[in-house]
Amino acid sequence: MNWTLILAEEAGGLFDLDATLPLMAIQFVILAVILNAVLYKPLGNAIDGRNDYVRTSLAEAKERLAQAEKVAQQYEQELADTRRKAQSVVAAAQAEAQTLAAEQVAQAQQEAQAQREQAQKELDQQKAAALSSLEGQVDDLSRQLLDKLLSIAA
Amino acid sequence: MLNLVPNSFVPLLAELEVGKHFYWEIGGLKIHGQVFLTSWFVIAALVIISVLASRKVERIPTGVQNLMEYALEFIRDLAKNQIGEKEYRPWVPFVGTLFLFIFVSNWSGALIPWKLLHLPSGELAAPTNDINTTVALALLTSLAYFYAGFSKRGLGYFARYIEPTPILLPINILEDFTKPLSLSFRLFGNILADELVVAVLVLLVPLFVPLPVMILGLFTSAIQALIFATLAAAYIGEAMEGHGAEEHE
Repeated sequence: MNWTLILAEEAGGLFDLDATLPLMAIQFVILAVILNAVLYKPLGNAIDGRNDYVRTSLAEAKERLAQAEKVAQQYEQELADTRRKAQSVVAAAQAEAQTLAAEQVAQAQQEAQAQREQAQKELDQQKAAALSSLEGQVDDLSRQLLDKLLSIAA
Repeated sequence: MLNLVPNSFVPLLAELEVGKHFYWEIGGLKIHGQVFLTSWFVIAALVIISVLASRKVERIPTGVQNLMEYALEFIRDLAKNQIGEKEYRPWVPFVGTLFLFIFVSNWSGALIPWKLLHLPSGELAAPTNDINTTVALALLTSLAYFYAGFSKRGLGYFARYIEPTPILLPINILEDFTKPLSLSFRLFGNILADELVVAVLVLLVPLFVPLPVMILGLFTSAIQALIFATLAAAYIGEAMEGHGAEEHE
């Protein structure tokens, strides 16, 4: 024990620089090379790949969202157009129906008027005929009456 | 080499061994064996957890992958903040390995009772407990920022030394020496001081009293790893940024 202590004190010390230094440096460089192959490269690639994946996915999703929004807007516009068109169709149909109805009512009134006039005319004719036949009968009767009276008186 | 059965438990835990090393000799060069043993453990832990994390990469991460992705995102944020959005990617491995290595080293020193494994001389501790490790990391950082500056700006990198005025030339040159010095000594000093404080407290009061200091040590260790990585990234970013007007966006 004694001689090792002496040896250590002779050769050792805290600041004992020797061949450990370059060997340690070489060892460290080798470690860096090994770690580059088994740690930094594969995991770095994994991290970068994941970042790329997330970025492209995000961009894709954004694009899809924009597309969907555009489609929705288009749909809404089409819906509004269709609604407006439907309203105008309904209004046109209503107007047409109204004019048609008014026309028909007017025609019907006209017809009714005409029929009534005709009926009146016929009635008047029949009345006149009746009156004239009645007049003839009155003449007949008055002549018979006169004949009877005259015969009685004679 | 390792004596796994300590004969006296308490003195071993409470022993203080500072500045003693477990020497190995390779080709006539002396190296600190205890530092390498623990650093191999740290490296193995990092490699194993990384392999586990990236073995089956999924888009929706689970378990270990999730944990390591969190760590990687943290490192990337750190590098991005210091170096800038455009240039940070090539530097993620360097800055990240600095952070992970220092962090796991510090925490292994604080959490794993290395001292139960008895060495003939010296003791096992965090690899960052040794000045050689921290100086090695700091010098690598210096090389890294020089490389970053030259590769980005070519010889125009030297213009940095006479900006904003040539009067500051000595200070700017001095900075290249103080940067690795401060980096290495900050890390080394913090980790060593933390382990010493814990060891001294354990020596005085073996139970409960050292616990708050140990928890504080965990916090300090994490902060030191963060500081080292952040400063390294900041130096690299500064070297590439340039003070010229044409570089400003």
